[in-house]
Order: sequence, then structure tokens, then C-alpha cells
Amino acid sequence: MIPIPPSLFLLLGAAMFAIGAVGFLVRRNLLVMLMCTELMLNAVNLTLVTFNRMQPSSHGGQIFAFFVIAIAAAEAAVGLAIVLAFFRLRKTVRSDEANTLKH
Amino acid sequence: MMTLLREQFPADHFTLLSLVLGLPLLGALCNGLFGKRIGKQGVTLLALAAIGGSFLASLVAFALVATTPSAGEHEGPARLVWNVWRWFSVTGRGGFRAVPIDVAFSVDALSATMALVVTGVGFLIHVYSTGYMAKDPGYHRYFAYLNLFIFAMLVLILGDNMAVLFVGWEGVGLCSYLLIGFWFDDEAKARAGKKAFITNRIGDFGLLVAMAMLLYYAGTLNWGELQQGAPSLGATTQLWPIGRLEQSALPTFLVHWLTPAEPIRATVATLVCLAIFLGCMGKSAQIPLYVWLPDAMAGPTPVSALIHAATMVTAGVYLVARTSFLFALSPAAMTVVTAVGALTALLAACIALAQTDLKKVLAYSTVSQLGFMFIGVGVGAFGAGFFHVVTHAFFKGCLFLCAGSVIHAMHARLHSDEVAQDMRRMGGLRKYMPTTHWTFLVSCLAIAGCPPLAGFWSKDELLWKAFSTRVVGLGVAGAWQPPGWFGRAVFVVGLLAALGTAFYMFRAYFMTFWGDFRGWKVVAGPKHAKHAHLDAPSHAAQPSEADATGPKPHESPAVMTVPLVLLAVGAALAGLLYAEPIHLAPLGALLEPVFAGASGAVQGRGVEPMLGAVMAGGVAVFAVGAGLAAYVYRDGVGQALRSFADQLPGAETVWRRLRIDPLHVFVLGLVAMLAIVGSVVVLSDSPLWILPALLASLLVAWFFATAHKAVPVCERAVADTLDAMGDTAAAFDKWVVDGILARVTAFVIRVVGGGLRLLQTGHVQAYLAAMVVGAASIGWFLLAPHAEARADDAEMRRSGRVVFTAAPGLGYGYRWYADGEKPPKEFDAGASYTLDLDWCQERTVHLDVRNALRREASTEFRYCRSSPIILGCCVPGAPPPKLPTIPKVPQLPRLEPGRYDAGVLQELLSPSRQRAPAPDAGASPSPAGGAP
Repeated sequence: MIPIPPSLFLLLGAAMFAIGAVGFLVRRNLLVMLMCTELMLNAVNLTLVTFNRMQPSSHGGQIFAFFVIAIAAAEAAVGLAIVLAFFRLRKTVRSDEANTLKH
Repeated sequence: MMTLLREQFPADHFTLLSLVLGLPLLGALCNGLFGKRIGKQGVTLLALAAIGGSFLASLVAFALVATTPSAGEHEGPARLVWNVWRWFSVTGRGGFRAVPIDVAFSVDALSATMALVVTGVGFLIHVYSTGYMAKDPGYHRYFAYLNLFIFAMLVLILGDNMAVLFVGWEGVGLCSYLLIGFWFDDEAKARAGKKAFITNRIGDFGLLVAMAMLLYYAGTLNWGELQQGAPSLGATTQLWPIGRLEQSALPTFLVHWLTPAEPIRATVATLVCLAIFLGCMGKSAQIPLYVWLPDAMAGPTPVSALIHAATMVTAGVYLVARTSFLFALSPAAMTVVTAVGALTALLAACIALAQTDLKKVLAYSTVSQLGFMFIGVGVGAFGAGFFHVVTHAFFKGCLFLCAGSVIHAMHARLHSDEVAQDMRRMGGLRKYMPTTHWTFLVSCLAIAGCPPLAGFWSKDELLWKAFSTRVVGLGVAGAWQPPGWFGRAVFVVGLLAALGTAFYMFRAYFMTFWGDFRGWKVVAGPKHAKHAHLDAPSHAAQPSEADATGPKPHESPAVMTVPLVLLAVGAALAGLLYAEPIHLAPLGALLEPVFAGASGAVQGRGVEPMLGAVMAGGVAVFAVGAGLAAYVYRDGVGQALRSFADQLPGAETVWRRLRIDPLHVFVLGLVAMLAIVGSVVVLSDSPLWILPALLASLLVAWFFATAHKAVPVCERAVADTLDAMGDTAAAFDKWVVDGILARVTAFVIRVVGGGLRLLQTGHVQAYLAAMVVGAASIGWFLLAPHAEARADDAEMRRSGRVVFTAAPGLGYGYRWYADGEKPPKEFDAGASYTLDLDWCQERTVHLDVRNALRREASTEFRYCRSSPIILGCCVPGAPPPKLPTIPKVPQLPRLEPGRYDAGVLQELLSPSRQRAPAPDAGASPSPAGGAP
């Protein structure tokens, strides 16, 4: 079996991160923005484990990835709760509507 | 009993002090934190119990100190120490020894007496306050501050080293500030508090400097160790010039001008003592820092009694007495103390002559009495000076509380402070307020120096010491000493101040208690209803106050009169603790070991037989002052003397022009006359001088009477000058402060802010975009290789060596080569490179860097080593210099040693040697000898 070169994983990770970042910037739906965040976090995870594979002697990348997953889970829970509360308040999930503190 | 106590509280671990100190602190904390919740009764109980307990503990401590035998000749006086914890330690001089500073307390005869006075008088004033402040909404706050003050004062007194004393010193300053501004919603009172605090800070600076100097020179702040190491402070140190002026960048003429022929030197003890005394001047309100004390009367009257008369302001005297062993080393510092004290005593007494506000009279009287205390400690009579602190606490505390009682009564109808404290509105109160009247009279007699009462013994004792001794100091021989007439001059000034004291005190007494009541029209009627007895300015002065009617002024309640009586008893009898002339001085015997170390600094002048005469002088001064005041003011407003003064030549013009009471001018003239006569008599030992002195004083009196001719001119000049200065200041304020500082600054900030405001759109995504751009930029920067290096060329001029060190980076490899070398193929990890240069050689070093992503960057460094001999090389852009050709040395003919003719030599050396010689050269050898 031909081993897949690590650069391909890195490219995939970079592409995922870019998609997530652009999606986060251009979309106005809070749920979609949350999903884009998750996408970026997972792109970072992929990059981390790839680096770990390039340097098998250390486990820093993998351990880091576990931490990211745990944090991401917590962040998703909090984020969804915020979105839910926001929806109850304004009957919408458009981020532009979150302007109570403006002016 | 005593044995039991002594076992319980050993001398080196005297935990009884925790009770003395802890109770007031506890009271302050409880009242401050929970005062509102526990109610007025609880606050009263807590505050009184705390101070009362502290007083009892002080009493026990005093008894223990008094019965502890002195530890021996060299150990100093009996001292009971409680070392609580190691606070911090500082590095001593030269850095070779750590100086520990402990939170430690100790008590000896001096501090035990002072603690007794503070807690005892403090307790009475607490009791009094419960009546005086009964209706105040800030009741619990007041007692929290008062308890805290007692705590801080006890820390000041009982501190075993100067650092702990300083904590208490600042603590009492804080409490004073809080209590002066107790009714802080009145702007003037809040400002008076600030004034007191800031003025005190000036003095505290001196104390800090003194501590630093003691740490540096003595290496300790502990009283006992300081006393043992004191002689080393007699060394001299150079004050000026500082450092090496001649090597500084100053112009030469300035250096010459600044450098005296002899360097100015002073003993360390003098410097330390002057710095300490600066602190004392602030706290004890001496010239020129006395300005805060009269304003401090804005606080509640019991506070004026406790803090600004009886205890806190005497802290300066206490500190000088505490450091008597230092002052004994420096006659110069003691002279300064005496001079400042004497001037303050006289000046404040003169000011008090003209006050109409009862509390202001007492305030200036306090300043004056503090001056007396400094005369005492300044002439080396530390015991007498300190004893005046004790007696003053009694009679001045009593006087202030009487004033408070009077003001309390006046407040029934006169609600403005200014009016209620104005003696011109009082009068005749002895009929209505018998207890206050009698206690006031007793303390008045005591402060004025009426023979069997306290003030007589203490004041005359220290004036006698000023007259009969001279300060010689313990320091090295040849130290500066005050001239012989100094003590006598101080004595005369003190007598004058005592005369003023007797006069203004009895003026206040007669204006307040004699004559007819002038406050309001007393109408018969039912006993007055409850009035708002607030010292606070809660009621604006009513326009109808001038001709108000009201019931008879009433005597204060028992909680206020009982402390008055007790203090008056103290004022009457306390003098017997230190009545040296009748050989009855238990307190003196107790204090004697404390000041034993300093007692050698004074010598008697051999005038002991004159003791009786001096005492008679003191009594005479009292009688004259009091009698004059009685003559003038018994009818209340001074009609008798005024009519006399009005008949002086030119009197009307002066009085009208100056808008002052003719009486004041007359008294001033009298004082000036006495001053001249007295000082001339003192300065010359011959009685023949009295006649010219009398003439001179008549001249002065005439000048006072006719001064009006000079007044308009001076007035106009002064007014014009002040106007011009004011205009300049106003223009500066308008154009520079308002125009440039305020407007320009505001404009710049507005423009910048307007620009920055555009960035704040409120769109989360816009912020995120900025974040992404920023993150991408940082990423780009991190990924790009950076060829940077630091060059160390410190050695270049000497050895021509330059060492480069490249900046590190992730996965970087480096490639170094100088021009002319072949670049190496491989990038290696060597981050440093060494370049060697010759004189005038210029080389370029190339650095290539490759990072983990195999991207490369490069840079180059150009270095040239200039030569000190060959000028012009290594100038950027200049052509490479030509090496200069060395000129050929002409071949000179070798001559044998001997005598030659000058002409021959000239010819030999001349460049035109090849040419034909001049017709007469060499033809006629002259007899003159040439150089060999």
C-alpha cells in the first residue's frame, strides 16, 4: 500500500480551515457559524495529528488534539445554549440581530 | 500581686501591651464595621470599655515599670519589651549586614507616663463625647475614629523602634484628618482636614529621611540599640560640595563659585536630629508648619481637646524626648529646637491675643504651649519639657472641653459655628453654667502659671532650666555651641510668651463668663424644649440670629461636666508630680533614668541662688497678664483700655487705616517695649544699658502710634505689585493652561477618537475579519525566514574582531561567508560567525538563512575598521585613502663634540647649503660661543 504523504493531510486540513473561516465570516446564521467553528477546530486537529505522525517519537500533537476535542465539546454546548437563548429573545438566529449592546 | 504580674508578664516578653494596644483597635474595628447594627448604646459601651480597659492595662504597665529596678549602669533604664514579629529586614551600610525591623513594642517610664495620659485623658474625653455627640448621625463613625486614634497614638508611644513609631505617627495623622473633616459635607471642614494632612506630610518626609540616615549610619532603628550606638553618630560628614564638582560638566566659573574654600561639614547627629525635628515641627505645629492646627478646630470640640491639644500634637515633643540621647550629641540641633520653640511660643501667643473665636484662642494657645515644650526639650530639660506635655494635657483638655460645653449651650439658639464660637456673643455665662465656669477658671489659672497649679510648676521649671543652664553637648570637642546669651534670651522670650498667655487666657475667660450675656435676649419662660444640639452646620445661620430671643443658656449634662471636674482636678494637682523647687518630684525621679544618657549635655551656669527671683518673675508675669486682662475685659469688651488707647497721638488714623482693634496695637507696642528692654538687659550684663533700652522702646512705641503715615504708600505699592502678579498669573492661566494644555489636548484627542470610532462598527463579522487578517499576517511572518543577526563589535577597534550571532527561528539553518570566500554549499546550524579585520580594511559578511519550509532569505553586513593614525579611512562614500608618504629626513652632517661658531652652525643647517655662502658668513668667526 502506498503511504499517503503527510503533505496531503496538511493540505486537506488547510482547506478545511479555510472553508470554515470563510464560512464563519460570510454566513449570518448563528448555527452555521457554530458549525464553521467546529470545522476549523477539526482542521486544526487533523493538522496536529499529522504533525504527530511526522514525528512519531513524541505524542504532543495527539494529546493536544484530545484537549481540542474536549474544549470543542464544551464550546459547542455553551454556544448552542447561547444560540437558543438568543432565539428565545429575538425569534431569529441571524447574528446581525444581536445588537442590543450597540449604541 | 506585683510578683504574680511580673511572672505573668516577663520583661522580655511583655504581652500586657497586647491588651493596651488591642482593646482600642478591637473597639475601632467593631464600631467601624458593625456600629450601625449594634446601636448607640452598644457603640458607647464598646468604645468606653475599650479605652477604659486600655487605661487599666496601662496603669498596671506603669506600676510594673515604676517598680522594676533599672537594669544597671550600662543597660539603660528599665524597659519592658514585647517583640511581636519580624516585620522585614533591610540591607545595612555597605550591604554586609541585614538590619532587622521588628514589630516590637516596649514600655519604659517615659512611654508608660505618656500612655497613661493618652488613655486616661482619652477616656474622659470619650465619656464627654457621648454627651456632646449624642445627637449626631455619625455617632458610631465618630467613636470608631476616636478608638482608632487611641490605638495609633499608643502604637506611636509604645513602638520599640522608629519604624513602628512611624506607623503610629502616620496613623494618628490619618485619624486627625478623618476627625477634622468629620462633617465632610461642609467644604471648609473637609479642606481643613486636607490641609492638616498635607502639612503633616511635609514633616513626615523629614522623619523618613531621619530613619534612612539612622539606618545608614547607625544600622538600627531600635531605641535601645540606638542609645548604645549613639556616640558613633558624633562623626562628621561632608555636606557640600557633593560628589566631585570639579569633574562635572558644569562650567568652570560655576564650579569655582559653588566650591567653598572649606568643605561644609556637620555631624551626623545634627543632620539626623534636624530631620527628626522637621517631623516634630509638622506634627507639633511649630513655625512654619503650625498653619494647620488653627484650622483643625473645624473638627468636633472633643476631638480638638483630645487630638489637637492633649495628645497627638505633643507627639513631636515626645519624639524629641525619646531621642534625647541623639539630641544630646548635637548642641546645634538643640539650639534650633529651642529657637523654633521660643519663636513659636511668642508668635502664637501674640496671635491668640487678637482672636475672637473661643476655639481659635485655645488653638493658638496650644501652638504656643507646644513652643514652651520645645523650649524645654531644646535646652536639655527633657523631663521638664515632657512634664509640660502631661500638665498641658490636663489643663488644655479641660479648657477645650469647657469651650465645647459653652458652644453646646450657645448652639441652643445660634446654629452657625462662627457665631456660636464667637466670644463677643458670649459673656455672663458664669451665672448659667457654674461647673463649666469653675473648671474653666481652674485650668485658666493653671495654664497662666498661677503658683500652686500645674502650669506654674511645669512652665517655670523649663524656663528656669533655660535660664540657668547651657547646652554643651556630648559630642566631640569643638562642636558648635550656642552663645552664652542664648539661654537668657530664650528665657526672656518665654517670659513674654507667658505674659501673653496669661493675658489672652484671662481675656477669653472674662469675655466668656463675665459681663452681660450677649448671645441672645434671654426671655423668661418654660425650660427650653429640645433643641438640635449639633455642632454640625446643618442649620444655616438664620438672619434673625442677631436679635434672637431664647431661654437661659443651660449647663451641660453630667456626662460632660464630670470629665470637666476630673480634668480640672488634674490641672490643679498634677504639678505636684514634678515640683522641683519644693523637692517633690516623683515623676522626675521616675523619668530621670530615661534621660540619664542625655543629662551630661547640659551644664549649670552657677546661678542657682537666683531661683527664687526667677520664680517671682514668673508669678509677676502671671499677675500682670491676668490683672491687665481683668482690668480690660471684666466688663466684657475692653472699654477701659480702649478709651485709654484712643487718646494716643495719631491713634484714630492708625486704627481706621488698619481696621484693627486699637487694643491690639497697644498690646503689641507693650510687647515690643518689654522685648527690647528685656533683651538688652539680658545681652549685656551691665544695668547701665537700661536707660538707652527704655529710650529705644519709647521710640518703638512712638513708631507704633504714628505708623499711619507710612501706611498708604506701602499699601499702594503692595497692592500694585500684587495686582501685576495676579494679572500675569491670570494671563498665563488663560493662554497657556487653558489654551495650550486644555484646548489643544482636547482637540487632538477628539480627532483621534473620531477616527478610531469608525472602526467600531458593531458587526461581529467585521471584527472577525480583522482577526483573521491579523492571524494570517502573523502566520505569514512566522513562515517567512528572517535573516537577522546581532553584531558584537566592542572589540573591533582593538583586535579587529567582530562576532555575529544570528537570530534563532523554527528549523533555521545558516550559511555565513565573507566577500571573497566561496559560499558553503550546505546550510548548517552554526548561528554565530567571527570576522577579523585589519586596519582600514572593509569587508562584507553575507548571511543566508533557510527555514523548515526550505525558503531562504539573506542579508549582509559591512564592517570597516578605522585607524587612529590614518585619518580618512572608513568614511562612507569616500575613496579609499592613500597611505601618506613619510617625508625623508634630511641627511645632517655629523659633527664632533666641541665648540662651534654660530655662523657655522647656521650654515650647516640652512637648506641653501649647496649654494654659494654669503660673502661675510664664515669669513669672520665671532668669539661668541655656540652650542656644543
